[in-house]
Amino acid sequence: MGLRWFHFAAWGLFALGLALLPELVSKGTLRTLIFANYLAIFAISWDLLSGRTGYISFGHPFLIGIGAYTSAILTKRFGVEVEIAIPIAVIVTMIAGLIVLLPALRIRGSYFALVTLAFMELMYQLVQVIRPDLTGGTRGMSGIQTLTRGAVNGFYLSSVLMFVIAVAAWLLLRTRIGTALTALGLNESAVEGSGLSTTKLKMFAFMASAFVAGLGGAFYVHYLGSIAPRALFDINFVFTIIVAVLIGGASTIVGPIIGAFFLTFLLEYLRPFLPGAERYFIYGGIALLLYMYQPKGIYAMVMKAWHSLHERATK
Amino acid sequence: MLQILIQGMLLSGLYALIAVGFTLIFSVGRTLNLAYGAYLMLGGYLYFWASQSLGVPKSLAVLMAMAFGVVLGILKFRLIVKPLKGDHIAVEISTLILAVVLQAGVILIFGDSSKILLPIVGGVIYVAGAPVTYNMLIATLASWTILLSLYLFIRRTDIGRAMQAVSMDTKGAAICGIEPDRVNLITWALSGGLGALGGVFFASYTQLAPSMWVGPLIISVAVVIVGGIGSIIGTLIVAHIVGFMEVIVVSVLAPELRGVFTMGLIILVLVLRPQGLFGREEL
Repeated sequence: MGLRWFHFAAWGLFALGLALLPELVSKGTLRTLIFANYLAIFAISWDLLSGRTGYISFGHPFLIGIGAYTSAILTKRFGVEVEIAIPIAVIVTMIAGLIVLLPALRIRGSYFALVTLAFMELMYQLVQVIRPDLTGGTRGMSGIQTLTRGAVNGFYLSSVLMFVIAVAAWLLLRTRIGTALTALGLNESAVEGSGLSTTKLKMFAFMASAFVAGLGGAFYVHYLGSIAPRALFDINFVFTIIVAVLIGGASTIVGPIIGAFFLTFLLEYLRPFLPGAERYFIYGGIALLLYMYQPKGIYAMVMKAWHSLHERATK
Repeated sequence: MLQILIQGMLLSGLYALIAVGFTLIFSVGRTLNLAYGAYLMLGGYLYFWASQSLGVPKSLAVLMAMAFGVVLGILKFRLIVKPLKGDHIAVEISTLILAVVLQAGVILIFGDSSKILLPIVGGVIYVAGAPVTYNMLIATLASWTILLSLYLFIRRTDIGRAMQAVSMDTKGAAICGIEPDRVNLITWALSGGLGALGGVFFASYTQLAPSMWVGPLIISVAVVIVGGIGSIIGTLIVAHIVGFMEVIVVSVLAPELRGVFTMGLIILVLVLRPQGLFGREEL
C-alpha cells in the first residue's frame, strides 16, 4: 500500500486535533463541526462511488435517505433497539445500492447521472405517499431517539465515526482495488480487457458507498432526532455533497473531508452577514470559480505546494 | 373523460415547449444543461418584473424575457461550456452549481416567497364543461407553432443542417467547413430563448418560486431521455405521453403521485432502451 511515516503522522495529527477541539472552541462551533463531520461522511460515500469510477451520482440522498428512514422507522414505529436498527439500516441501504447498480451495468456518463437523479425524485414522492403512517408523510418524523446528549458527546461520536470511515476508505483506495477503480473511470473496456470483471468492481464500489451512506444516514437521523423528505431528497443537498467533494478534491477521500469542513465553515461565517438562502449565492459562486479554476480541488493545490516545498528543501 | 383529454392536450403542449430547448442542446452539444431549469425561472421572473413592476406591455415583456434567455445562453456557453472543452461531466456539475447560484440570486432580489403571475392572456373558455384558460390554450398553440417551425428550421435551413451535422459527428462536420463552436453558440442562444419563453408560460401555469426550476428540468430530462437524441418529433410525442400520464394519474389515482410515473419512465427507458424510443442508436 506504500504507507510512509508521514501518512501515520498526518492521520495521527488529525485525530489529535479532533480530540482536542472541544477544549478549544465554543459549543456553537462544535455543533457546526458535527454537521461538517456528517457532511464529510456523505462526501466520502459519494467519492467512493463517483470519485474514481466516473459514474457520477446526482441522487446520493436516495441512499442516505434509505439508511436514515429505515433506522428512524424501526426505532420509532417498531420499538427496535438503536443498536439493532442501525445495522439493519445499513444492510437495507446496501440492497438499495444494488438497485442503483443495475442501470450502471448498461449506461454510463450523463445517462447514469440522470437515473440517479430520477431515483432521488422518485423516492421523494413515494415517501410522502406510501404508508404515511410509517414515514410521517410530507411532514416527516420527529422525536426519534437520539444517541447522545449535548454538543461535546455528539461531536465525539460523529468524529470517531467520520475518522474510522475516512481511514478505512483511504486505505481501501490505496489497495489494488483502488487502482482498478481508477482504471474503470479512465477506460472501462481496457479494464475488461485485462481480465478484470467490471461488474464486480462496480458492485464493490457501489456497495462500499452504500455502506458508508447507510451508516452516515442512520447515525445522522439519530443525531438530529427528526427527518423530513423535503430537506433530505433535495437537489440542494446533492449540490452540497458534490461541491464538498469537488472543492476538496475528488477520489482522494482526504479531499472530501477538507471540502466538507471548508464549506460548512464558509456557510457559518457568512451567516452573520447573509442570514437567509442568499448565502448559497456566494457559496455557490466560490464553488463554481474554484471548480472552473482548479477542478482537482484544494487537495491538489496543497499537494502541489507541498511537493514544491519538498523539492526546495532537498535541493 | 373529455376533461382528461383536454387537460392532457394542454399540459402536454406546455411540456413540449419546456423540453424543446433542452433537447436542442442535448442533441447538438451532447451535454446536459442542468441549469436549463434556471432559464425558465429567470425568464419567468424577468417577465414578472417587467410586466407587473415596470408595467411594460405583456407582449413586449415576453420578448424581453426571451432576449434575456438568449443572452444567458450565450454567456453560459462562452464562460462555462467552452472553457471546459467538452468535458460533459464537468459541464453538468458546473451547470448544476450555476443553477443553485442563480436560484440564490433570485431569492436575493425577489425574496423567498412564491409569486402569482397574472395570466399572459386573460379569459376562460368552457369546452364540454371543462374550464380552459386562454393562457394554456395560447401556450399549447405557441408550443406547436414553435416545434413545427423548429423542425422546419433544422431540416430546411443551412444553420439547421449544420446543427444536425454537428449533432451526428462534430469532427466530420468540422472537416466539411462547419464551425462547431459557432453552431454550438447558436444552439445555446436558441435554447436559452426557448427556455425563457417556456418559463413565462410555465410560471403563469403554476407560480413563480425560486425553486421552480427543478420540476421542469426533470420533465425536460424525461422527455429527452425517452424521446431520444436528435428527435424533435420524439420530443413532441413523449411530451404527450408524460403530460397525459400525469393528468391521468392525478385525476384517477392521487395528486401526490403526479411525478412518480415520469421518474419511473426515465429509469425504465434508460435501463431497457438507453437510446430512447425514437433516438438514434448510440452510446
